[in-house]
Amino acid sequence: MNQPRLPLTVIGGYLGAGKTTLLNRLLREDHGQRIMVMVNDFGAINIDADLIDRADGDTITLTNGCVCCTMGADLFMAMGDALDRHPRPDHLVIEASGIADPARIATAARAEPDMAYGGIAVVVDALNWPALADDPQIGAQIRGQVAVADLLLVSKAEDGLPGGLVARLAALSAAPQIDLAASTAEGASLAPLLLGGIAPLQGKQDGALHPAYTGWSHEGDAVMEREDLSRRLATAPPAIYRIKGLVRAPAGPGWEVQVVGRSVEIKPALAPVIKTRLVAIGPASTVSRADVSRWWHAA
Amino acid sequence: MTDITVFKARKIITMDPNRPEASHVAVRDGRILAVGGADCADAWGAVRHDDSLKDAVLMPGLVEGHAHMMAGAMWDFAYAGFHDRMDPKGKWWKGKPDLAAVVRDLSDYEKTLAPGQPLLGWGLDPIFFAGERLSRKHLDQISTDRPVAIMFSNFHLMCVNSKALEMAGYDRATNAEGVVKDAKGDPTGELQEMAAMFPVMRRVGMDFRGLSQTDGAIRSYGEVCMRAGVTTVTDLYSQMEDADLATLVAVTDDADFPARLVPVLGVAGTDPAQASARALALKAQSRDKLRLGAVKLMTDGSIQGWTARVKWPGYVGGQANGIWNMSPEEIHRMVAQMQAAGVQMHIHVNGDEASSVAIDAISAATRTHPWPDARHVLQHCQLMGPDQFSRCVELGICTNIFSNHIWYFGDQHAALTVGEDRACRMNAARAALDAGVHVALHSDAPVTPLGPLFTAWCAVNRQTMSGRTLGAAQCITVPEALYAITLGAAFTLKMDHEIGSIETGKRADFAILGDDPLGVDPMALKDVPVLGTVLDGRVHLA
Repeated sequence: MNQPRLPLTVIGGYLGAGKTTLLNRLLREDHGQRIMVMVNDFGAINIDADLIDRADGDTITLTNGCVCCTMGADLFMAMGDALDRHPRPDHLVIEASGIADPARIATAARAEPDMAYGGIAVVVDALNWPALADDPQIGAQIRGQVAVADLLLVSKAEDGLPGGLVARLAALSAAPQIDLAASTAEGASLAPLLLGGIAPLQGKQDGALHPAYTGWSHEGDAVMEREDLSRRLATAPPAIYRIKGLVRAPAGPGWEVQVVGRSVEIKPALAPVIKTRLVAIGPASTVSRADVSRWWHAA
Repeated sequence: MTDITVFKARKIITMDPNRPEASHVAVRDGRILAVGGADCADAWGAVRHDDSLKDAVLMPGLVEGHAHMMAGAMWDFAYAGFHDRMDPKGKWWKGKPDLAAVVRDLSDYEKTLAPGQPLLGWGLDPIFFAGERLSRKHLDQISTDRPVAIMFSNFHLMCVNSKALEMAGYDRATNAEGVVKDAKGDPTGELQEMAAMFPVMRRVGMDFRGLSQTDGAIRSYGEVCMRAGVTTVTDLYSQMEDADLATLVAVTDDADFPARLVPVLGVAGTDPAQASARALALKAQSRDKLRLGAVKLMTDGSIQGWTARVKWPGYVGGQANGIWNMSPEEIHRMVAQMQAAGVQMHIHVNGDEASSVAIDAISAATRTHPWPDARHVLQHCQLMGPDQFSRCVELGICTNIFSNHIWYFGDQHAALTVGEDRACRMNAARAALDAGVHVALHSDAPVTPLGPLFTAWCAVNRQTMSGRTLGAAQCITVPEALYAITLGAAFTLKMDHEIGSIETGKRADFAILGDDPLGVDPMALKDVPVLGTVLDGRVHLA
């Protein structure tokens, strides 16, 4: 019996950008998913004691079903271990170390048939990023992280995103820029951004979507070839953070779709698709349900 | 029955200036009781004479300060490399001069495998093949039924056959960087970097974790050492988990295990405070043949991969400067913590920008936490010049130089990476010794084969694969090189008080040689036969 594909989201960003804060927040949220978070070490992970079910060695199990573990010396071996778990976690989130290229990890999810590409979210420190990006020693790698990002999560921007930063990031990447401070102030959850909002493949529902997000779901009988589907997804409103779902095909089992930011991933479905089902999520301020619906239903 | 054994040898090179040569060495309780003539230990009571090594030349057991444990268990896979190479059992494997030889030899090997068993190979280096690239088409000639996967010598690339591609689900539709495709859009079989190799490795059982830490892997490493005359060896980025300690203890405690093992804990990407605490906890678990407590930091990549951080003017081909595996800020933070906690560091530095950052970080740490006898070690040091060596002297930093690169990659460095002028002063052992820094020389096995006599030969002759001398001004003498692969390396491991020379009181660790490395033509140094080792007075013959 095939287990569902394991979606992988990689969190990148330089030291002090706020990756660990982000992960702490994600683990605490009421998203209904059994997330496995892999970190280099537990140094900065700070989980409320009342959330901890048990802790043994390199693994902390939370009462909400999430697991936080250290990846040990060999990240890919740890990834293999996560895939071999029965049952598999609903979602794997890996924290890339400060200077690392997150794409070197995330590419495994494109290559590995048992995984789904959940995207690269890079945390950008609004205060320090411009200087880091100009650093003669590490600037190229710092800019490279932004260039491979599917989502840019800007931290420490207390009064909105600075225009200069927005422009510099946009020059490197078409990825949506999300103001983390604002999303925290609004009480919006991170799970929709990092995991995809709703988990249609497992038939589970996350907590109610926060008003800051537009959520769209669709069920229909559309039948598409890979090329047609690929073209359709390429014309999706750019403000959409994520699209995922299953699409019927004229021959074969159908398609499993993961769209994160500008990245589109189509893999053969693991079981025959009877109904085409898609969900999408984006910021309520820039994209409406009607926009998404209009796009999908456009001939 | 006496507990004193007196070994007679054709010649004993002691590395002790008080008595550079001897004919006999007496051993009691695994230690050197006396050195001299046949009567050297008579004052200590009855002795037993052992003449079994009387035709051999003994020198202090060689010390390899930078190698990796997988140099042993890699041989669980079929060898596909360019050069002739010896496995842990002493069998020589022929090098493969071209792709036809790779296919021919692996086809022979394939016949020895059980049905369905994957054919896994290693060591292939396409830099030595002109023209056609290895592809699934070649490997399909070996087998279409069983998966075939060949890991390249740099561990960043592999090539697999059609069956292995099929198992990983790789086809025209695959959209993943690193899965190389041909002009028609089909995968060629070449896979670049771990993310693309991982799906195949998972399915064919190519398990890197199994290449170290397991009982078999540790023992294979010991065999490789013994055949190279090495009695003390590092595993210089140990990925040991706490659960692996019991296996390491059990194997190294075994009297049959022929080496003193120094696992150096890899700490790149970890929390400095936790990593230093773990290193100190491990240090307390050290035993006679298992020395724990040091850590390894990463900085940059490799010069031949254009990923080392080099100073201006950079790479001659105009390639972008390399990458940091730990950023300078992380390096400073980790160095400061390790220095404060009293943990000895080995720091990977290939490019001269990386070595400069590492020296700066140690310099800063010494201002807040002075530790004059820390003996931190810069590893590789490939582009360091007299300026940086002098700073190492001032700061008490040791250098372990990657001399094997001169022969294996020297021609490439002159032509493709840093250019002729800087290639001539790469791995500058002469400059290092003249500056007065503590020097060791290393192989980085399995990147190049473990063999300190070969490594010494490289430092003495600086000959490349094409036969030229690359930078004669940096050649060192045979005695200097022999010192570097014994006492020099022992110093970097803080073990020079117990190993590295043959003198009274030290451990009875010897290399057993078939000829005199001080007597042969320096150009023949690499050909001096290694017959085995003596560890704690116990003879291990190859």
